[in-house]
Amino acid sequence: MTDCDAVVVGSGPGGATVADVLTGAGWSVVVLEKGRNHLLDLTAPHEPLRHFANDEVALSRRHLLGPDPRLEPRTYRRSDADGDRLLTGEVNNLPSTVGGGGVHADAKLPRFREEDFHLLSARGPVEGASIEDWPVQYDDLELHYAAVERAFGVAGEEGANPFAAWRSGPFPMPPGDDMPMALVSAEAAERAGLHPYRAPTGVNSVPYDGRPACADCGFCGGYGCPVHAKGDPIASLQRSLRTGRCDLRPDALATEIVLDTAGRRAAGVRYLDLTGYPDAPVREVRARRAVVLAAGAFETPRLLLRNGLGGDLVGRYLTYHFQTFSVGIFPDATGGERGRSVTHLHDDLMIDTPELRAAARDAGLPWLRGGVVEHGAGPGPVEEASTYPAGDAHLRAMADSALRRRLWAFTVQGEDLPQATNRVDLDPAVRDVWGLPAGRVTYAPHRHELAASAYAAPLHEAIMVAAGARAAFSATSPPRGELDVSAEMSPLGIAPASRHVMGTARMGADPATSVVSPEQRLWEVDNVLVCDSSVFVTSAGYNPTLTLAALAHRAAILLCAGAA
Amino acid sequence: MTPPFDERERAIVAAALDAQVPGAGDLGAVDYVEQLLTALDHDPPHVWAGPGGWAGAGPRWLELGPWERHAWRERIAALHAVYRRVVAGTPEPGDARVLHRHACEAVYGDPAYGGNRESGGWQRIDFPEPLFPPARPR
Repeated sequence: MTDCDAVVVGSGPGGATVADVLTGAGWSVVVLEKGRNHLLDLTAPHEPLRHFANDEVALSRRHLLGPDPRLEPRTYRRSDADGDRLLTGEVNNLPSTVGGGGVHADAKLPRFREEDFHLLSARGPVEGASIEDWPVQYDDLELHYAAVERAFGVAGEEGANPFAAWRSGPFPMPPGDDMPMALVSAEAAERAGLHPYRAPTGVNSVPYDGRPACADCGFCGGYGCPVHAKGDPIASLQRSLRTGRCDLRPDALATEIVLDTAGRRAAGVRYLDLTGYPDAPVREVRARRAVVLAAGAFETPRLLLRNGLGGDLVGRYLTYHFQTFSVGIFPDATGGERGRSVTHLHDDLMIDTPELRAAARDAGLPWLRGGVVEHGAGPGPVEEASTYPAGDAHLRAMADSALRRRLWAFTVQGEDLPQATNRVDLDPAVRDVWGLPAGRVTYAPHRHELAASAYAAPLHEAIMVAAGARAAFSATSPPRGELDVSAEMSPLGIAPASRHVMGTARMGADPATSVVSPEQRLWEVDNVLVCDSSVFVTSAGYNPTLTLAALAHRAAILLCAGAA
Repeated sequence: MTPPFDERERAIVAAALDAQVPGAGDLGAVDYVEQLLTALDHDPPHVWAGPGGWAGAGPRWLELGPWERHAWRERIAALHAVYRRVVAGTPEPGDARVLHRHACEAVYGDPAYGGNRESGGWQRIDFPEPLFPPARPR
């Protein structure tokens, strides 16, 4: 007796993509989402719930999108030398809600480039890092990139980025309106010899797929979209639900992957029905064909570790993007209160140039890669205010507004080299409110990241000044060097602030060095697939969402075809 | 529903919030704190304001799951303790951080939460009114 063909754990961009493909192929699917549903009506015709407003208090202060660190604490340390943990609370939490990380993201959706899939072959090894080629190459993935760009609705400009990988067709829609200050920073970057371009963005520039065009309300990065112009996976989830073959269950925390008696196949998933809190009942959903894990690169390994599945490499090779923020303080307002947070990028730090080769040589490294660089606005007023001191100095600082109204920033999503010691595991003592071991991050950057950041910071500060900034400075997340008072007071925190979490269930062709196969199946239980950024072999320097969704699309199609 | 502060206590809390962000009291910061401390006295709780009339709905608050109510019950209980200390004149070192956070949220957050009276906090920093504000109690 089975309940469905496949159970999908997680409803973010990976899980939503899998559900879309499988239900489209006639499979019945149950999607388990541990978070609340703020996205769409679960009854037909599955219209948006419209729970989101331009509301800094609810979104950035009161955990509307979850997870609430009071319920689901995570822990962080830099290495064993920090003891069991350095902090307990919020550690790069992605939203825990229907739609997952797609809901809060400002939806920069660049593709990776060809080189990103064979970094070891293209650039060679780096001491202290575990760089491998991916078992999937860009050419294998291109048609899937194109499919998920259509599914999410990506606005972009073909040919604008001279370094972009080849494409089989145009973007589904043209780019949206430029943020005025991005034009200024882009022009200054061009004068410095860089190649800025309009960011591929999962935000409707025109009405698309039944959803409206973006209104440029300015509450984009970190916020749910009030009108669902954003590429949160609402469209994929709606399509799945409208087939009548998808059962989306929010408030359902997967706790156990149920195996058959031989332990070689998954038969389903047990979960806590959180609506029954405090005595949440355990329920089970049985799957005829497959269990798909798409809970993100933090929660997926946590689930695998609790179940003793996936082998010794589960949780290892955790990568983020080592973020370097170069901030310009301008004499006048930069206009960041409206627009889509970021409208322009440049990729130059991902390219093998004589300047980067020289910087690598100086750092004693064979090569350096930075990451995609976002041209973007500052925080909202509550966040800004919280960084200023009390009293009259507070009023002066808010009136001056150096860190919001007059701020413009370059953010490098710096490539983070994989290291076996960087990992997610189970904290030995801290538990969540359900009594499950909290996930623990152990992470320290490789010196490559530090060298790339040291190269990027003065370059971008100079561009900010050339663009008209009166002053420019840089900061990184996590902070460089030893922790001191300033690091501990930083609004960025001491743990990596990046929400780009990758690489904790690596894919590969060899079971000895990977957790999942090239088809994203667990080597030891081959009807369990991992369809989120856990499978990334390297972090590249690009926002991961489109790539994880393209991989999920490919894996789901292979699953349907029975080709794997 | 009993207000958390009497008039004397409101004046003390207003002064404490004013010390963090001058003018916070006049902008409704004590109302913000009182609304937060009594959030669970309402159903749905006054924790997350729903979208405003632009979404075709009247003023409303979003429902919390039972486990989310648990978290907020604990959080609000801890905040009550902070404000009892503030009112008693025996604050602990960490309490100033709470006051600062609440003063900032009250002055620069959406008026739906009881502060930022008549958007005065935004006006004094030239912050534009949101296009899609949350519902604001009438």
